[in-house]
Amino acid sequence: MLQHIIPASGLLFTLQNILWINIGVFIGAVFAAIPGLTVILCVILFLPVTYSMSAIPGMMFLLGIYCAGGYGGSVSAILINTPGTPHAAATMLDGHPLSKQGRTKAALKIALYASTFGGVFSALALLFLGPQVAKFAAQLGTPECFMVCVFGLTIIAGVSGKSMIRGIIAACLGLLISCIGSDPMTSYDRFTFGVGRLYLGLDLAVCLIGLFALVEIVSRAEKKPEELHMDTSKMHDNGLITKAEYKRMARPTLLGSLIGVIVGIIPGTGASEASWFSYSQARNMSKHKEEFGHGSVEGVAAAESANNAVTGATLIPLLTLGIPGDGTVAIMLSALMINGLNPGLSLFTTQGDIMYAIMLGLILVNIFMLLQGKILTPLFAKVVSIPQEILTPIIVIFCFAGAYSVNKNYFDVAVALVFCVLAWLLRKLDMPPVPILLGLVLGKMTETNFRRALLISNGSPKIFVSSVYCWIFIALIAVAVFTILRGKVKEKKPQAEPVTKEE
Amino acid sequence: MKDKLDKLGARLQTKEIRIPVDLTVGILFFLLGGVVLLIMPQQVAISERDVVNGRAFPRLLMVLMMFCCALLVGKEIYKIAKKQPLEYKTVNLLVEIKALIILAILIISYLLAKWTDLFVVGAVFCALAFLIYFRCKKPSYYVITVGMAVGIWAAFRFLLNVRF
Repeated sequence: MLQHIIPASGLLFTLQNILWINIGVFIGAVFAAIPGLTVILCVILFLPVTYSMSAIPGMMFLLGIYCAGGYGGSVSAILINTPGTPHAAATMLDGHPLSKQGRTKAALKIALYASTFGGVFSALALLFLGPQVAKFAAQLGTPECFMVCVFGLTIIAGVSGKSMIRGIIAACLGLLISCIGSDPMTSYDRFTFGVGRLYLGLDLAVCLIGLFALVEIVSRAEKKPEELHMDTSKMHDNGLITKAEYKRMARPTLLGSLIGVIVGIIPGTGASEASWFSYSQARNMSKHKEEFGHGSVEGVAAAESANNAVTGATLIPLLTLGIPGDGTVAIMLSALMINGLNPGLSLFTTQGDIMYAIMLGLILVNIFMLLQGKILTPLFAKVVSIPQEILTPIIVIFCFAGAYSVNKNYFDVAVALVFCVLAWLLRKLDMPPVPILLGLVLGKMTETNFRRALLISNGSPKIFVSSVYCWIFIALIAVAVFTILRGKVKEKKPQAEPVTKEE
Repeated sequence: MKDKLDKLGARLQTKEIRIPVDLTVGILFFLLGGVVLLIMPQQVAISERDVVNGRAFPRLLMVLMMFCCALLVGKEIYKIAKKQPLEYKTVNLLVEIKALIILAILIISYLLAKWTDLFVVGAVFCALAFLIYFRCKKPSYYVITVGMAVGIWAAFRFLLNVRF
């Protein structure tokens, strides 16, 4: 590891990288602070900007957005009791009551410090655990790699929506869409319907613009006009946090960071699950349980440290196995692959310097997030109230410009619109979009490993149960399916009302 | 005009359609799987010498999808037979019409940009159309939004060198 650290530092500490980190952090915090705009939407919109960059500045920019998004969501949660991003919902429970007590600045500071600690903790976990997991991944052959893909897809299909079966159907749909274009092994065209432009397949960024970004615009139809206008409360306090409060924050912050890392490593789970789990654990362990829900500093610290501790941990399965921990890092995978960086042990050996630069960069991202948070939080607080009338067309124009700039043609804009309609229809049917995204991302890898394994075994499916690792993954899939199904059954039991209302 | 629209909106808001989610998903995706399997010979060319050809993986996916759909439909039929309540999703007609209007704005913006080969035309239309959709009456919002639409086009055109 040490032999990579010094050259990696040389690659990382350039003016260009520092600039892109800061731009990413700023954009991420602003986007996440605005209710309704998610981190995934922001990463999709700005992904085309990274196409002309090399690996390190591109990843630094996207990681800046990703990490600052974790903190930005808490700004609106604290100020206006509306989480900017879904994973800031737990922060809202205590952050907003603190703000109502006249301690808005203090609540924002607690969220910022806890987020930074969680982020740095997670980056260190990535730095030390990543190479070890990559060494394990190097021992996996073709059938095992296929099983890894199935494992990742199963978990994500299971946890993404209300129904596991619907999740699997969505994952199958994503995998099918990834088959469009030339066959990865023979180059014959598949499902192109005579459209020449489809021969190269559908670009991931274009599909995602439709699937996640444009559909959010169409979903504005579901919101009532009064929900689109929000006024932020003013920050009048001095933001003082007492020594006793710092002491009380320490344990939930550390606990939240640990929970965030563990949850983040598991594919399919994300910041929301981590922050709720951490919040409930912190409440159970607290000596001041009665304060939870009424402005507890421990509650804010636990939720915020956990949702930012997920950021580095989700990169562990991504960089080592090619399995994205959540939807946002799935998009980052395409930014890596554009630069010829394919996940696995080779990434840590042949491209070790770049990899370590990215992992060290994650620590830097969190430090700049802290600095920007300290200086620019009043500005982040102001953007919460940007009128939706202005914001909505701006996002659409960004989406169209982003889709066009991928291959410099309007065909991609049309593809993004088709995916937008598809996503809207799937929403009406309660079908989760994340398994489709994972299907799109993992499609080529899953199919290539599946077919290669069968070629090796001359068509015999026994190859998928031929090694210990295969059995380990089969056991993991079985355990995951059982756990998810048990969780779903438990969720359904207390529900008395079977009819689900959309609004 | 505004009053007429409000009245129409209030009338549409009360109209709802209930969709049995699992049953609909099961039938729709079962049909989709069947169609994909049917068109596969025309859409996926293969070589006779291949041990595992390009149809193997999509076929496996469609079989899995159809199996899941059959499970969903079977579960719903069992519920109907046992007179258990089904899971419904309520779709509001007003919301859907508003979504269609937004979709129309997106499509017209795209077509304008494509036909004129000037992205900025589509961008300005998009900005104005959304402000009208939100019934915005503040002139400053029109100035800001149109200015930003032109600004984004200029940034992509001159800074990122995207020719549109």
